[in-house]
Amino acid sequence: MYKSLFRATAAFGTAALLATTAFASDLVVTFDDLNPDKKAAFEAAVDAFKKANPDINVTTNNGDREAHKSTIRNALLNDAPDVITWYPGNRMGPFVDAGLFRDISDLWASDENLSGNFGAIKPTMSRDGKQWGVPYSFYQWGVYYRKDIFDKLSLSEPKTWDELLAACGKMKAAGVTPFTIGTKYLWTAAGVFDYLNLRTNGYDVHNDLTAGKIKYTDPRIRATFAKWGEMLDKCSFVKNHATMSWQDAIAPFANGDAAMYVMGNFSVGQYKASGLTDAQIDFFQFPEITAGLPRAEEAPADAFFIPAKAKNVENAKKFLSFIATPKIQGDWNKAIGQLPPNSAAEVNTGDKFIVEGMATLSTAAGLAQFYDRDAPAAMAKAGMEGFQKFMLDPSTLDSVLTNLDKVQAEVYK
Amino acid sequence: MTEHAMRLSSKYDTETKPVAIGTAVLLVCIVFLLTISGTGVADMLGYARKIDARVPTFLLRMFFLLVALAAAFIIFTNTSTYKRKRVAYAPWMFLSVGLIFFLIYVIIPIFQSISYSLTRWNGLYDINGKWTGEWVGLENYRVLLEDPNFTTSLINNVLWLALFMLAVPIGLFIALFLNQTVAGIRFYKSLFFFPFVISQVVVGLIFSWAYNPEFGLLSEIWGWFFCEQKVNIVGNLTKVCSIDPPSILGEAKYATYAIIAAGLWPQIAYCMILYLTGLNNVSPDQIEAGRLDGAKGWKMLWHVILPQLKPATFIAVVVTVIGSLRSFDMIATMTQGGPFGSTNVLAYYMYDQAVGEGVGRYGYGSAIATVLFVIMLCFISVFLWRMYQDERTER
Repeated sequence: MYKSLFRATAAFGTAALLATTAFASDLVVTFDDLNPDKKAAFEAAVDAFKKANPDINVTTNNGDREAHKSTIRNALLNDAPDVITWYPGNRMGPFVDAGLFRDISDLWASDENLSGNFGAIKPTMSRDGKQWGVPYSFYQWGVYYRKDIFDKLSLSEPKTWDELLAACGKMKAAGVTPFTIGTKYLWTAAGVFDYLNLRTNGYDVHNDLTAGKIKYTDPRIRATFAKWGEMLDKCSFVKNHATMSWQDAIAPFANGDAAMYVMGNFSVGQYKASGLTDAQIDFFQFPEITAGLPRAEEAPADAFFIPAKAKNVENAKKFLSFIATPKIQGDWNKAIGQLPPNSAAEVNTGDKFIVEGMATLSTAAGLAQFYDRDAPAAMAKAGMEGFQKFMLDPSTLDSVLTNLDKVQAEVYK
Repeated sequence: MTEHAMRLSSKYDTETKPVAIGTAVLLVCIVFLLTISGTGVADMLGYARKIDARVPTFLLRMFFLLVALAAAFIIFTNTSTYKRKRVAYAPWMFLSVGLIFFLIYVIIPIFQSISYSLTRWNGLYDINGKWTGEWVGLENYRVLLEDPNFTTSLINNVLWLALFMLAVPIGLFIALFLNQTVAGIRFYKSLFFFPFVISQVVVGLIFSWAYNPEFGLLSEIWGWFFCEQKVNIVGNLTKVCSIDPPSILGEAKYATYAIIAAGLWPQIAYCMILYLTGLNNVSPDQIEAGRLDGAKGWKMLWHVILPQLKPATFIAVVVTVIGSLRSFDMIATMTQGGPFGSTNVLAYYMYDQAVGEGVGRYGYGSAIATVLFVIMLCFISVFLWRMYQDERTER
């Protein structure tokens, strides 16, 4: 009895020993998207990594995207994985400043793929002159429109502000609401603001605003709101947008009651799910407002970071290098219908929105992350409430802007 | 010393054996709890990373904590001090469990929250576990005074408090109406009670659908009068209205009232059930006597029935006041404080600023929480004082 017990223990011990030598190292990756296509693409990339590195024992966690925004705080402090997803731009600021993310500038410098093919997105991944993460995907924003309605009204894609206003006039005359939007969850209004500001004032002014260097009552920002006022007046939005989510707002678009939607490329799947075909919808870049201004675009990226408390840093770096390779970036983004940040990666040429998106972003003079990622969260919340208020009642402009100045003074201290 | 006295005194002596064993166990537990850190145990057991590393350590710690508590209990109950004053100590021992939890989960957080309200903090600790906030004194409260969203929240809280009170009289009248013996009255009662049974979140959803200007119940009814179906540019049917249906939750001037109306629905049911049970205890003799004296209708209600319903009224007012001050679920499900923060109340605004969407103004959120706490404290102390007075007069 005792002998067999002893033997079993010995066998177990050797097995455990063998196991530890065979799987010399671990890697824990935390991801934050449970949507079937996103999840599958992530798992495919992890499988490819496992195949390339059979000696690394990879464990993955995947959770809900919204919940991740609060659980990450605890994860970085107490139970840090080796790689974790988060947003670049100012959204990573608090964690970088608290020293919770690891500086990976050395990886960016030593990895030729990273230093060579990620030039456009590198500023977004940087803070204090150092790089903190590696992006795996991003997507373009712009105006999605009903091509069939445009054809019926013999309109072409507007290139300038005046052309847009003229097109809106024609649509309204035909009983079509020019723009649909759902501002219940606020952020959609920020997309419109970002584009108006990027087109009126350009990337640098927009960046200074979200970095807290320019006040909201600045004449340049007022000029942006003047354009927005013009847009509300001549290019009206659907009524009741304050009670609709972005998905709800697709209903009038799909029904043909509204013709345009300022949105991100992730929405295309939803248009198709509500019955629209590729022939009925198309994309154009948000029209030029100030002539001759270098064209900057909205291109929110998703990225991987290494927590400062990660236990297997070398493996984590290997993983980041791996997911940055053109092959993985291409496959991943083909699967989820988005764009690879790696300029050497292949894109899905069969998808016209992806092709247009690549053309839009690869020629852009600057890439903004989106208002709620470029500005600190507290500022973004107040700002987006202000945008909604302005959209519902443009006469509140002055009180909105002075309040935003107050919040700005408080938040950026 | 007589034999009896000796037996009596030994009855109060400390039992050395259980105390010794208890002390030994207690010491082992304390050494364990103090020396062995969480990750250490996890690694030792080889669980780290395979399952959540906190689970085994947490369970182990809880186990040792419980054993330690049991040991402490055994030591204490076997000492002579306890044995001599059993009657004085026993109630506290029973209370202690509740008191400890109350201390950990209510009292300490209140003071923590008040102390955070004097800081600027984004909720993060740095890599060494050091708190990253800074002390700003009363700065947060100064900012609160100038924050239009805070003013809106405060006004909305007053609105909630005032309008929510309607639940008490309405609940009373429904209760009076239902307090009769008709066939199937139990069924009707349960119908009226139904909204209280369903979750607040569901109530919120139902009402926000009803209010929806596109497809909601109210806009359908509106459509009968003001709207017609037309064919739009691509040949689909669309609704065109001569006067647009009000976007109830999308307009600042209606939204709060609409949410309060939704909140009233289950609250009325709650008050009704309180009054129904109260009405069961109304003495028929007094009604009979009142009737003989010629009282009926309003007079009967005001002078005979209501005084007897005083305890029910008290409880109904208390739950309604507290319910209105902590109104949160309805706002979270119906508007998230929108449009542009116009339906915020203190409870929701606090959540929004501290934890919601990663805004992370923990200090500011704590300041809002402190204000809410002070307001609640006013009401609660009045209620407690009333209850204390009632108990004293009853004695």
